[in-house]
Amino acid sequence: MNGVLHRVGSSILSLSREVGGLAVLLGQITVRLFPPHLDGKETWRSFYKVGVKSTPIVVTTALLTGAIMAVQSSAFIEEWGAYGLLGWGAGFSIMREVGPILIGLMFSGRVGANNTAELGTMKVTEQIDALRTLAIDPISYLIMPRFVAMIVMLVLLTVIGDLFALVGAMIFADLMIDVSPQVFWHSLLEMTYLIDFLVGVIKAGFFGFAIALVSCHYGLKVTGGAVGVGRAVNNCVVASAIGIFFLDYLLTPLIDSAWAALFIRYG
Amino acid sequence: MIVFDDIHKRFGPKLVLEGVSLTVAKGRILFIIGQSGVGKSVLVKHLVGLLRPDSGRVFLDGVDITDYSEKQFYPVRKRCAMVFQNSTLFDSMTLLDNVALPIRKHKRLRDKVARREALGKLALVGMENEALRYPADFGDGMRKKVAIARALTLDPEYVIFDEPTTGLDPISANIVDRMIRDLSDRLGVTSIVVSHDLKSIFSVADRIAMLYKGQIRLDGTPEAFRRSEDPVVQQFISGSPEGPMEV
Repeated sequence: MNGVLHRVGSSILSLSREVGGLAVLLGQITVRLFPPHLDGKETWRSFYKVGVKSTPIVVTTALLTGAIMAVQSSAFIEEWGAYGLLGWGAGFSIMREVGPILIGLMFSGRVGANNTAELGTMKVTEQIDALRTLAIDPISYLIMPRFVAMIVMLVLLTVIGDLFALVGAMIFADLMIDVSPQVFWHSLLEMTYLIDFLVGVIKAGFFGFAIALVSCHYGLKVTGGAVGVGRAVNNCVVASAIGIFFLDYLLTPLIDSAWAALFIRYG
Repeated sequence: MIVFDDIHKRFGPKLVLEGVSLTVAKGRILFIIGQSGVGKSVLVKHLVGLLRPDSGRVFLDGVDITDYSEKQFYPVRKRCAMVFQNSTLFDSMTLLDNVALPIRKHKRLRDKVARREALGKLALVGMENEALRYPADFGDGMRKKVAIARALTLDPEYVIFDEPTTGLDPISANIVDRMIRDLSDRLGVTSIVVSHDLKSIFSVADRIAMLYKGQIRLDGTPEAFRRSEDPVVQQFISGSPEGPMEV
C-alpha cells in the first residue's frame, strides 16, 4: 500500500514540477514580449529550419494522406452513389482534423524533437551558460525566435498541407472512382465553410504554441549528458502528442461556439 | 579587485566550498589549483553569477554583487569574460559568427563591421584563415583559441580561464600562456586561471591559490609554493600518488 502511495505521490510531484516549469518558461517569454526583442539573424535561421526544411515532408505526407482518404472511402462512395459528397467529406475532415493533427504530430516529431535535442545539447555542453557569460539572454536570443517560428510555421504548413491533401484526394478520386476534379471542387466549395478552414488553422497555431513551449522546456532542463538529452527528446514527443490531442478536444467546440456566437451577433 | 569572502557552496549532500576567502588584485594573474573536483570551477563561476553561494559574499571593485539578479549580472559579465573548459563554441555558427556574436549584440555594429572586428580578434589567436569553418571541424586546442578570441571581444577587465591549456599541444599551450601574460602586461587585464598545468602555473602566475577540501590551503607567490613545506602542497607539485592527499 505504501509503495502504491509513494508511486502516486511521486507521479503527482513530478507532474507538478513539469507544469510549474512550463508556467515559469511561459512567464519568462511573456515578460520579454513587451517590447519584443528578437534577434533578426536567429529568427530567420529558425524560420528556415522550422518551416522551409519541413515543407517537403509535409507536402509528401499530406498528398499521400489525401490520396489514402479517397482510396478508403471509394468503396462506400460507389456503393451509395454519393459521388457529390467526396469533395465535402475530404475537405471537412482534412481541414478540421486530419490536416492540423497529422501535421502537428509530424511537426512535433521533426521540429519539436530536434529543438529539444539542440537546446539540450547546448545545455549539457555549457553553451547556454556561455551565452549568459557573454551577457546575452538565452530566452531572448534562443527561445523567442524558435517560439515565433514554430507558431507561424505550423500555421503555414497546415495551410500548405491542407491544400496538398485535397489535391491528393482529388487526383485519387478521379483515378479510382472517376469523380472528376470539377465535381470534387464543386462539392468542396459548396458544402464546406470558412469556419471549417479556420478551425484547423487556429488549432494549428495553438499546437505550434504547445510544441514550442514543451520542446523548449525539456531542452532547457536537460541534465545528465547524452542520456539526459535522449530522455528529454522522448519526453518532449510524448508530452507534445498529449498536448495536441488535449488541445484538439478542448479547442474544437470552443472555436465552433465562438464562431456561432459571432455569426448570431453579426449575421 | 575581486574578493570572495567566506564562500560556502553545497550540491546535494556534498559540501564543495567550506568558507573560501580569496582576493584577486587588479592587473595580476591568479592561478587556482587543486585536484579535479575540488571546486575550482565552482568558485570562479560565482564571479559571473552562474552559481550563487549558499553563504558568503562576492565583491567586484568594492561592490557586493552576491545578490544581483540575472539582469544585473549582464554589465558584470561584460567586464568579466569567461573561457570555459570545453570552449563552448556554438556548433551552429562558423568561427567568425561565434566571435562576431557578442560584438553584434553589444556594440550594435552592422553585421559587416562586426564580422571585420571579429576577424581581427581571430587573427590574435592565429585562426583568421579558418574563420568560415565550423567548430566541429577542429580539435580542442583550436576551439579553445577561438573561445579565447570570443572572450576578448568586449575588451573585458577581468578574464576567467577554466583550464585553458588542458588538451593543448605544448606549442599551443605556450601560445595561450603567453597570451594570458600579454593581456596582463600590455592591457592590464586581470586573469583568474583554473589549471592543473604545472608548467603554466609556474611560468605565468603572479599568485597561486591552492584549493583543498573546500578551503584555501595556501595562497602565495610561485616561489612561496616551491618553498612550502606543507606535504599536501608538495604532493600536488610533485604529482606523487603517495602522500597525505586523498586521491
